[in-house]
Amino acid sequence: MPETAFEPWNDPDAKPLIQFRNVTKQFGDFTAIDDLSIDIFEREFFALLGPSGCGKTTMMRMLAGFETPSAGMILLDGQDISPIPANKRSVNMMFQSYALFPHLSVYDNIAFGLKRDKLPKDKIDARVKEMLRLVQIEKFAQRKPEQISGGQRQRVALARALAKAPKLLLLDEPLSALDKKLRQDTQFELMDIQEKTGTTFVVVTHDQEEAMTVASRVAVMDHGKLKQVDTPERIYEAPNSTYVADFIGDVNIIEGHATAEGDTVSIAWAEGQPPIIGTPSKPMGDCKVSFAIRPEKVAIAAEKPQDRRNLVQGKVLDIAYLGNLSTYHVQLVNGTVIKAQASNTRRRASLPFTWGDEVWLSWTDTAGVVLES
Amino acid sequence: MNLRRFSLIAVPYLWLLGLFLIPFLIVFKISVSDIALSIPPYTPTLELSEGWGGIKDFFSQLDFENFEFLATDDLYWKSYLSSVQIALISTFICLLIGFPIAYGMANAPKEWQPTLMLLVILPFWTSFLIRVYSLIGILSQEGMLNQFLMWIGVINDPLTILNTNIAVYIGIVYTYCPFMILPIYATLIKLDGSLLEAAEDLGCSRTEAFWRVTVPLSKAGIIAGCFLVFIPALGEFVIPSLLGGSDTLMIGKVLYEEFFANRDWPVASAVAVILLLILIVPIVLYQRNEQKMMEAEQ
Repeated sequence: MPETAFEPWNDPDAKPLIQFRNVTKQFGDFTAIDDLSIDIFEREFFALLGPSGCGKTTMMRMLAGFETPSAGMILLDGQDISPIPANKRSVNMMFQSYALFPHLSVYDNIAFGLKRDKLPKDKIDARVKEMLRLVQIEKFAQRKPEQISGGQRQRVALARALAKAPKLLLLDEPLSALDKKLRQDTQFELMDIQEKTGTTFVVVTHDQEEAMTVASRVAVMDHGKLKQVDTPERIYEAPNSTYVADFIGDVNIIEGHATAEGDTVSIAWAEGQPPIIGTPSKPMGDCKVSFAIRPEKVAIAAEKPQDRRNLVQGKVLDIAYLGNLSTYHVQLVNGTVIKAQASNTRRRASLPFTWGDEVWLSWTDTAGVVLES
Repeated sequence: MNLRRFSLIAVPYLWLLGLFLIPFLIVFKISVSDIALSIPPYTPTLELSEGWGGIKDFFSQLDFENFEFLATDDLYWKSYLSSVQIALISTFICLLIGFPIAYGMANAPKEWQPTLMLLVILPFWTSFLIRVYSLIGILSQEGMLNQFLMWIGVINDPLTILNTNIAVYIGIVYTYCPFMILPIYATLIKLDGSLLEAAEDLGCSRTEAFWRVTVPLSKAGIIAGCFLVFIPALGEFVIPSLLGGSDTLMIGKVLYEEFFANRDWPVASAVAVILLLILIVPIVLYQRNEQKMMEAEQ
């Protein structure tokens, strides 16, 4: 990573590569994309994340040219792309199923787009070989897609989509067909290739881990609307809604009523329980709020900690052992269950807590997010 | 010896032996016999009661003069050639008509497809013979086609279609088109739509994507359909004898006439043996295509 942070979205002078301007897409009565505007910048690795049916695939298909917006405009490099058909756009796509041509060899699959451009033979050959090297599949150039493994097919699909050096590469669930271990390795490779080629990548995924790992920015979508567009870190640590907080990672959400106390708020949330002290991102008045806190920010202890302002007592209800971490489901006296996570740093030590143990949960003022609900 | 394995393998071989090889040998034997005014109408017949001498006598009387006769009379090779020509042209017309129909079916809305499929198969519910007879009613001078064309004013005098090669082509194409449509439909329906999108995405126009992706990927179905039309069309005799004219030469018709009109079983058998030899080439090619398709699916 270069030292000067890559954050064109914070630079008011940066010219976006792609602009969605109030784009709406309807299929009959169903609104897939609802008045959506967004800017995506050159060289970004942008992830569209959301559950199935949230409209992320429709957005990508509109960029590729397989769908046209019902209203609004999509600009690529400042130019409206609606009248340009898919085969004339400098946008290529890597399909979820890879869509490799089964009757062509790996080499001919990669050369397919170049041949359509009527490039001279030696140029095509040089470019195909470059692509084969880039994704490290030189050995399989003469094989048919059915004769190579799933991971290799994924590479062929990537090479084929990159061969024409598009301004924008779309990736539809690029890694969903791979097993977990291969997926993790490939994520890093994908980032590497993105950086090497300097291509703008837009990836569509329902896998939050994938989006968080590869993307420079993540757009969380729901029902055709953008919920939050931000860096993975901010999406995780500073979600702007309970939907985003809940969609990304694990979270405890506590509903309550906030009263402002200087920079902090005091959230009354259950009778007999002390109020939660939280720090909102911007000053807020008295109102109903949701307090979202990640399990790893909740400390669990047998003894009552002295220095924490947020403190509750409960009983261990369930333990999920994940190897590196354990998640404890702790039930408070009023019935609320709060998840707390502790890392298992010592190998031979048995788990510090077991079912039914009385424990103390605590967290700092700034550990959770206060969201107006 | 593994009896179970043996009996399992034996089933298809016995099948072939009983239903193909033995009948073929009988026909072949008749083809190397001589015509005779007797029952059966050929000689010699094997008399096992005369022992070893009888068998030797039997074999000494067999000869290939019927095949020589086929080579000398130009009626036969002209019929073979004309059959091949009619079968090839009919196959091509079936492909021209069948591919668009199959393509349309495969791209029709899902809920229509069973109905469309039914429409293709529907003619089989009526006897083949009845359908060919009704074509006579349509194609004859006073037939529905001529009446219709005269009614809309395209022609003033009725066209002579029946009893010409055109009627034979119409009959064969009409009868065998479903055999072209169904295998092509079967390959097109399996075609992954994202492949066409990928082709477009990589710079193909719709037409180019069709030729570069759809056609190569339905090749197996096209080949299967062509053989399924070509093989029966080559030996077809009902259609040329009912719809064709006196100058329509097709080997199936010649074969039929040798057997039933001339009662010359040996020559008819020789014609059949040659026809089979001609058909073996496309049949073997068809089998290899089927095998390739099966392998591709695994």
